[in-house]
Amino acid sequence: MERTKPYNRRDFLDGGMRMSLALGLGGVGGLLLSNSTGEDWVWQIDPFKCTQCGRCADECVLTPSAVKCVHAFDLCGYCDLCGGFFLPDANDLNTGAENQLCPTSAIERKYIEEPYFEYVVNEELCIGCSKCVKGCSSFGNGSLHLQIKHDLCKNCNVCAIARLCPSDAIARLPASEPYLVKGDFIESESTRSE
Amino acid sequence: MKQKAIYIFLSFLALAIGVMIVIDFNSTRNKKGKGNPYALDLEPFRTVDPALIHYKETRNILLKCDQPRAIFYDNNRLYIGADQYFQIVDLDGNQLLKVDLPDAPQCIYSAPGGSIFIAFRRHIAVFDQQGQHTETWEPLGDSAVITGLAMRDSTLFVADAGNRCIMRYSAADGKIQGIIEGKTSAADLHGFIVPSPEFDLAVNTDGELWVVNPGKHSFENYTDDGKLRTYWETSSPYIEGFTGCCNPAHLAILSDGSFVTSEQKLVRIKIHKPSGELVSVVAPPAKFVRDGKAPDITVSPEGIIYALDIDQKKVRIFEKKSGT
Repeated sequence: MERTKPYNRRDFLDGGMRMSLALGLGGVGGLLLSNSTGEDWVWQIDPFKCTQCGRCADECVLTPSAVKCVHAFDLCGYCDLCGGFFLPDANDLNTGAENQLCPTSAIERKYIEEPYFEYVVNEELCIGCSKCVKGCSSFGNGSLHLQIKHDLCKNCNVCAIARLCPSDAIARLPASEPYLVKGDFIESESTRSE
Repeated sequence: MKQKAIYIFLSFLALAIGVMIVIDFNSTRNKKGKGNPYALDLEPFRTVDPALIHYKETRNILLKCDQPRAIFYDNNRLYIGADQYFQIVDLDGNQLLKVDLPDAPQCIYSAPGGSIFIAFRRHIAVFDQQGQHTETWEPLGDSAVITGLAMRDSTLFVADAGNRCIMRYSAADGKIQGIIEGKTSAADLHGFIVPSPEFDLAVNTDGELWVVNPGKHSFENYTDDGKLRTYWETSSPYIEGFTGCCNPAHLAILSDGSFVTSEQKLVRIKIHKPSGELVSVVAPPAKFVRDGKAPDITVSPEGIIYALDIDQKKVRIFEKKSGT
């Protein structure tokens, strides 16, 4: 008759360590697999929630900020009198610095044909202060808006701007669709007259 | 003695930690933070000298709808388009008629004692005063966005913001009689500039057609064959002018020929002389939701101004103050 070997404390510890090692290796392997095949997430600004508080310029870990003004050209009126380019009480409608709203002259005004002008954001100069966004929203169609540029963004675990955004306009998006760009003419319609 | 010193030290440490937590909490963690060094201050443009305000709000009519859209006054009745219906109410707000529509009405116009014209996005439908549908006119093209109606005799003028033109219809049969494109040989005018769907028109008591050119902040008077007769324009963020890419958004004309204008974003209602000078303010920006939509406006022959407040969903009635 075969005698069963008693299951002693040494065997228990030995089995437990083997099991822990297997679970640890499996967990690390699973995590690596998940990181290599799963979708990444990135931070982005919802332009319809943004209230142009100006914090994107100063609170980003980068200097200048990874937040830049972008332009929805299909929404823009190409106006001569652009609320995003000119100070509300500008002396004249020309590119003189004293007439410009942008503190860094990051918006370039290009003549197309009388009386239409194109406004292009120079990202190297833009600091993401949203002053032009406020002007465009207050006097125009709201075609200028802020976005986090992912060629610049460090994608911090906790976005320094998102933590402070007073309107909770910054949230995670799938990296496959990293931008929330304005540009639907129909949605911007307002009411009609008699 | 030594133990007492340790207690004092720990007490100070706890106090210091508490103070730091409170400072941190009040500074950034509750999203208060510091002020905006890049702020664009628009308050100077929202402030209006009270001496300029010659009207007071005497009554208002609350509307039970999600999206008010258009208003028109005729013969002691208000014609209101909202959601997917139009209704006729008396001046006390009692509903006289309500008619469901297949789509959202964009503008409304009632010919005196006759037909009611409802503009949808691309076409016009005609109803009688009992709410019976009588005609649907041929739709305009895909890019059409109808934003304004006005009438003189048997001619209905239709503002099409999408195509940036005025269509001249025969009100009797809905046939197009002509198109006004606002183009002129004058060097300083370039046709209608309509950056967004805010493009209105009105006919004064002399039968003259006035069209808002919103991109130029100008008021332009055209003959029926599309020739520019005269115009005036004034651009300014201050109360005496118009600002933004598309203002004024709505227009009505008083019996003395003065223009009643309604502006969007910096929402305000004003009266300008036929020659363009500011006469008075009907409602300053403080009366409206900040960065709101321009109220549609209509006027009675007595000079009472009815404003359809889109954001607050009510008809606001403004009458001239005595002594102004």
